Amino acid sequence: MTALLEVRNLTLDYATGRGSFRALEDVSLSVEAGEVLGLVGESGSGKTSLAMAVMGHLAGNARLTAGSIRLGGAELTALGPAAMRATLGRRIGMVFQNPSTSLNPTLTLGRQITEVLERHRGLSGREAWKEAVAWLERVELRHAEALMRRYPHEVSGGEKQRVVIATAFAPHPEIVLFDEPTTALDVITGARILELFHKLRAETGVAGLYISHDLGLVARVAENVAVMRGGRIVETGRATHLFAHPTHDYTRRLVDAVPRPHRRLVDDNPGSAELLRAEAIGVSYARRRLFRASPAGGGIDGVSFAIGEGEILGLVGESGSGKSTVARALTGLVRATGSLRLDGVPVTRMRHDYRRAVQIVFQHPDSSLNPRHRVRDILARPLRLYGGSLAQIPTLLRNVNLPADYASRWPHQLSGGEKQRVAIARAFAARPRLVICDEITASLDVSVQASTIELLLQLRRQHGTAYLFITHDLNLIRQIAHRLIVMREGRLVDRLDVKALGSGREHPYTRALMAASPLPVGEETGP
Amino acid sequence: MTDLLRRLFRTRQGAFGVSILMIVTLICLLGPALAPYSPDRMDFLGRFAAPGVRHWLGADQFGRDELSRLLYGARDTVPAALLATLAGTLVGAVLGTLSAYAGGSWDEAIMRTIDAVMAIPGLLLALLIASTLGGGEQSALLAIAIAFAPGMARITRSVALAARQEEYVAAAIARGESGVRIVFAEMLPNVIAPVIVETTIRVSFAVMLLATLSFLGLGAQPPSSEWGLLVSDGRTYLHDAPWLVLVPGAAIAISAIGFNLLGDGLRDALNPRDER
Repeated sequence: MTALLEVRNLTLDYATGRGSFRALEDVSLSVEAGEVLGLVGESGSGKTSLAMAVMGHLAGNARLTAGSIRLGGAELTALGPAAMRATLGRRIGMVFQNPSTSLNPTLTLGRQITEVLERHRGLSGREAWKEAVAWLERVELRHAEALMRRYPHEVSGGEKQRVVIATAFAPHPEIVLFDEPTTALDVITGARILELFHKLRAETGVAGLYISHDLGLVARVAENVAVMRGGRIVETGRATHLFAHPTHDYTRRLVDAVPRPHRRLVDDNPGSAELLRAEAIGVSYARRRLFRASPAGGGIDGVSFAIGEGEILGLVGESGSGKSTVARALTGLVRATGSLRLDGVPVTRMRHDYRRAVQIVFQHPDSSLNPRHRVRDILARPLRLYGGSLAQIPTLLRNVNLPADYASRWPHQLSGGEKQRVAIARAFAARPRLVICDEITASLDVSVQASTIELLLQLRRQHGTAYLFITHDLNLIRQIAHRLIVMREGRLVDRLDVKALGSGREHPYTRALMAASPLPVGEETGP
Repeated sequence: MTDLLRRLFRTRQGAFGVSILMIVTLICLLGPALAPYSPDRMDFLGRFAAPGVRHWLGADQFGRDELSRLLYGARDTVPAALLATLAGTLVGAVLGTLSAYAGGSWDEAIMRTIDAVMAIPGLLLALLIASTLGGGEQSALLAIAIAFAPGMARITRSVALAARQEEYVAAAIARGESGVRIVFAEMLPNVIAPVIVETTIRVSFAVMLLATLSFLGLGAQPPSSEWGLLVSDGRTYLHDAPWLVLVPGAAIAISAIGFNLLGDGLRDALNPRDER
């Protein structure tokens, strides 16, 4: 039997100012009818280039130098633009990462589906409408009739992604391409989208190419997995087998880097001395402005917790739960009510010594370093502010495992992981006692995440620093935190010792979060 | 800097713009040395002399050599336009960045004031200010600076608002940096590129605005040979001696085009995507 989608010896080059860059080299893979193939790889591995090549959606400077892409035996690379458009949507469905940009903001949700149905299945306006409503119900959206008349900005991200899925499945395609479909969604919403995908697969028997950087997710949806690195496929195999017994060195490292909740990376117990206590912290984003009032929303209310000397406190919750607002309140970035105590002494104003003791590292490495300052200048600021000599800069860099000559580099000359290391070095330049880590590994690849976590723990061993570690990744936080606090819709709902997780004493919401986190790959027994 | 020039020359507009402006600069520097006559030397017999061997660009109603007046007049025109624009830019850029940094009511107050000022057309505003200040070269210069500042503030604020959202600004606030430092060291360097482009384009407006003010009698006063004044003087004799208007008019247009092209070139050269 021939494969439904067959990619053979595909080589793809991008022409750049400095010669050509090879994005894909001799890539071969096949997807049988009804099968889901997972494609895993870190950023820059070429997985999205491959998806774009399959869709004939290549950038102007891209060139397919060799190989073929066949769908049901027919060559796709030879198709003209019109024939390609007829194939896309009709025979190949697509679901992308960001539902907000894959829907047209000026069309109603209903119109986006009926358009596809009219074009690819030749339905009349009324038939298409009925069919579209049926599809919205199939993707488990409530009030389907009403949703048909809504615009994308009037519904949530999860709902949008369901509409995208409905448009992808509605023309009865043979294969659906998924490019990180849950990455932009929070954990629980993402888990529900995956359930929906399972259901639709069972109903329609459609094949899939599922692209993701998240090994846990891929292990959940795909039977077979291909691992990509540097434009090549390094290993393929059954999902269950490959992650449990990786043969290629790179796959092994990738699997190893995935956080496993039961492999603790921290085995000490912090002392009982209290470092920082937050009492009834509240932030309201409603602001009176000179000429108009801005609506409230996204604030936090009555958040109380304490962090001990040298303790790692995990703060988890979905996006929009107010996690980052807590970080912003503790660092004086937003005006907050409530009280703070540092070493038992009330903090009335954020003075120099408080700011020095409590440092923060942000989520986006690209944004947290000023692009117009060299690494040296970035590190010099806290040294000047908090007392320190510029001669420490090489040491600061070496402490975060960066070469000392990085001091003269510009941020854009660093990789994402390196930028994050500089941000960590900047925080540690103040010799802090508490470092707030706000989703600092969320935008990093899994292997870079592992080394960043390792670095944080190494710094903690050296300096005895406490961390408030904010994340949505329960598997990760269970490896390192001593205690957890859980937030939902601006309130603290649970406060527990990490060892108590899974004991049944946790808040129902915490349990829901746990259930939604993907099981770590390569582990025979789950929690 | 040399790198920037190299990239500027790679774009056609940039190369043209820089070439034109180099000539204009040379004229400003060496004008008096190049001029065949003194700009004030009257020659009764040479009144309204057409462009020819004796007076290359003709002579005016007093027989003064038009070329010499043009070369001298460059000094009263181009540096003044540049200075006025720079002053307006500086005030506007700082105001815009401050507004974006402070946010809230401060932002509202600053921006609504700017809206109010911008409701008056630029030329009218400059006229108003210049006439209130009583005319003359300096008041014209000041009028242009004030007329330009609100627009620059607007543009800078829109860029600075984006910079304000960046985490390096949050990091600086969390570190306890002073507001002055955040505005000048963290934010301004990141908003400067579009501001520079806008500035060069505005210089061309300033050249024309200055000429207009002089033309209306609110700028430089005779016997200065500021280019706008030359146009104004020549207007009376438009039928008999059209070169008296055409020559300074062309000089104004060419230098304005030069600054415009430089602005276009800079916009491409300063594109952060391929910077450094």
